[in-house]
Amino acid sequence: MGHCWRERGGLFGATFSSPNPCPPTSNGMKGRGQSCPPSQSHSPPLLKTKPMGIEKSSTASCRSAMIQIHVLEGAALVWSAEDAREIRERFRLVGTLVGALTRKPRQNARLGLPLQLLPEEARLLAELGAAVLVRRTETQPPAEGEELTQASLVEAYQRELEESYQEQQRLAGAERGALLAQLAERIAQGRARRREQRGEMPDTVEDSGLLDSPFVLPRGSMMVQLPTARWRPGRVEQVDWTSPSADWPHAGRPAHEARYRVFRELWGRGYYLSGGSKFGGDFLVYPGDPLRFHAHYIALCCPPEAPLPLHALVAATRLGTSVKKTLLLCSPGAGGALAFTSLQWSGLQ
Amino acid sequence: MAGRSGRMEPELEPRAGRRLFSPAELRAARTRDRKVPQHSHGQKDFIPDSSEEQAERLHRCREEHWQLLAEERVERLGSLVTAEWKPLEGIVELKSPAGKFWHTMGFTEHGKQCLLPEEALYLLECVFSHLKRLGYIVLRFCPSAVPSQYERQLNLDSYCKSSGKRHHKRKRSSSPWLQGKKAKASGNPPESEGTPEKASDSCGGPSHPASEGSCLSEKSKESDPASGEGESAQVPTDAVQLGKLPSCPQSQAGDYGKAAGDSCSGTHLPRWDFTRIAFPNMASDCPHTFLPQPDERLLPENVAGREADATRWRKLVNQKREKLSRKEREQRERESRYKSSVNADREVRRCSNWQEYKELLKQRSQRRAGRRPSHLWDQPVTPLVKPYQVASAAAVLQQISVLQPSHILDGASRLQEDMEGMKIDFSVYQADAVANFKKNNPGKPYARMCVRRFDEQIPSLRAVKQLTYQSEDVPVVFALVDNGDIAFYSFKEFKLPVDVYH
Repeated sequence: MGHCWRERGGLFGATFSSPNPCPPTSNGMKGRGQSCPPSQSHSPPLLKTKPMGIEKSSTASCRSAMIQIHVLEGAALVWSAEDAREIRERFRLVGTLVGALTRKPRQNARLGLPLQLLPEEARLLAELGAAVLVRRTETQPPAEGEELTQASLVEAYQRELEESYQEQQRLAGAERGALLAQLAERIAQGRARRREQRGEMPDTVEDSGLLDSPFVLPRGSMMVQLPTARWRPGRVEQVDWTSPSADWPHAGRPAHEARYRVFRELWGRGYYLSGGSKFGGDFLVYPGDPLRFHAHYIALCCPPEAPLPLHALVAATRLGTSVKKTLLLCSPGAGGALAFTSLQWSGLQ
Repeated sequence: MAGRSGRMEPELEPRAGRRLFSPAELRAARTRDRKVPQHSHGQKDFIPDSSEEQAERLHRCREEHWQLLAEERVERLGSLVTAEWKPLEGIVELKSPAGKFWHTMGFTEHGKQCLLPEEALYLLECVFSHLKRLGYIVLRFCPSAVPSQYERQLNLDSYCKSSGKRHHKRKRSSSPWLQGKKAKASGNPPESEGTPEKASDSCGGPSHPASEGSCLSEKSKESDPASGEGESAQVPTDAVQLGKLPSCPQSQAGDYGKAAGDSCSGTHLPRWDFTRIAFPNMASDCPHTFLPQPDERLLPENVAGREADATRWRKLVNQKREKLSRKEREQRERESRYKSSVNADREVRRCSNWQEYKELLKQRSQRRAGRRPSHLWDQPVTPLVKPYQVASAAAVLQQISVLQPSHILDGASRLQEDMEGMKIDFSVYQADAVANFKKNNPGKPYARMCVRRFDEQIPSLRAVKQLTYQSEDVPVVFALVDNGDIAFYSFKEFKLPVDVYH
């Protein structure tokens, strides 16, 4: 009955062209009447048609272990930086970082791990055989025997901490010693000068005493490492992405299936894709890595039977125009293939 | 990709990612760069053209990106607080004293400092951490802790809080959410076991948001001589100080927890057991209207009690102007025509014969016709406005308008049942108010947040009305989470402009 936040659409004065839509010109839309003729000398390339698979990674050889994607109530998370790297560089999937950056946690400009993948991205990786969806097995409150092991784990941790402290103290002492040795001459000179000023006898015995005193590193100055993800992942079990479950409810849902078809198709043509809710669409389509390129299209999945009222189309196209992106309507066409329709403001030409 | 669930297959072995730093590496991490570089160095390119420069820039951006992500968190031990996670209670208990964050986060429970999970981890809730990183102060929303506008008008909320101040040596803030949780878990205990943690919280009363009624009634309870039997425990000098309230003590956020034995006067806290205090029922369905003179021992000095008969007052209760519906009004009009007697009119009684009566009727109809000419008003189609209503164009438009302006809170008070699963999650306070922010008395928030998923239905008008009513005069913002992206939406009110200068 009600409208979903996703529902939208909008079109005005469209130039219909499919399947080679025209991305916006680089000098931006000056005023409302500017059109985008497809044949411009400076014209950007058209929608890629030749399918592109996975880029060969130059550094990584064939890995034996698969990427683990942790799923929780429909969210797909990747906790390892190496996995995130491979997902982006080898598979052209971007995801969103949702954690705090370890270097500077209390800011929003740049976030850190974990990497949250769209359901479509996770499914694609699973389909390609590059990743498995896993979830933690149910954790019970510690039983009798386990409480002891927990206590022993805590003890082990405390012991490690103590060892680390001793070692750090030794290192700090050694550093300090080296530093003092470097500056020994200067220190001695300074001392002698001060003694002269005060009129005392130069005494060399006491000077060297400084280097012999044992160095104590204050406990509070010790550095500790704070893991921001589990070391040992604990017990995990695989989740079947083909059937719906509590942690992976997307399988079989018509909305998800439709989106995935579009996602797979566009990904197959070599684009980078990311979530498009901020622009009133399903996906944003980039010609290259989002780190270096702006999005060209806002992809909107239109299920074949769903109505698309004109005012909704107008709204979507207006939005796309104002952010300098082209609206791309995607829906299953005749013969099972997907049809893409791009819409752009063209004025009265 | 074969895999059976429940066993760790070799394929499910995690990759080597995280590692433990050696002490030398830990020390080296002290001098790490703390700046966060920009995402893309310089302006973004328009289209990939397979050029060297583009590839180089991309490579640099990426390398930096992975380097940042792969960093491990290393901190000085002295700047960290130790805490323990309590899974059964769902809170984190601090083992060492809290630092600066205590100013805006955390609460005290049984004398120990605790944090809620999202506060402690900062990562659990996407929206929570996003707002916190921007500097806002985010607190959980507790519906009964919202003082209503009426209470604020009467300045009751500050009174409640300040009255508790005088008797406590140390102010501890306890989490209202936790109080509510415990109360629900333990049912409705009239006797409080352990320390009574609520004090002087007359506004917190019963759990319903209609708290102003209970607020006033509780205060009057103190001095109400007709309270009948009651535990007349030693009433401390601060008359508003009550012990633990029996029914769901979801009290305000600005509470003062009080550990046992912390009271400076050392008196035993009075415990009012309201299940055993009988209040007289003075409603219309009950015949008791006579209240005897109260016991002088219950009254303060210099106050004389007297008996009261409430019969007269009861008649005056519920007297207000009736708002009749249109049908009722029409019916009244019809009835008034034939159900009233002509002789009730004084002017008619003055007429001594028919001639005078007919004169009177003619005068009256002329007077009326002067205002309503028959050629206009006796036709099937009548004018839309009367002459005295046409003072300005605005008045005319007002008179003939079809759409009536409505406010979001119209009728919202009736809608409090069945919240459709929507509830307010957080109260958000502005970042620049941090200096003045007090956990015990946060004041009015900047916004209230309702966290939903982007894929859900847009809330119905009914849900929006319910949420707005719960939030009183603080705007409600919807935080929509879409796979890691957050967007904030709210509904704004505006008036349609009226063209009066046409």
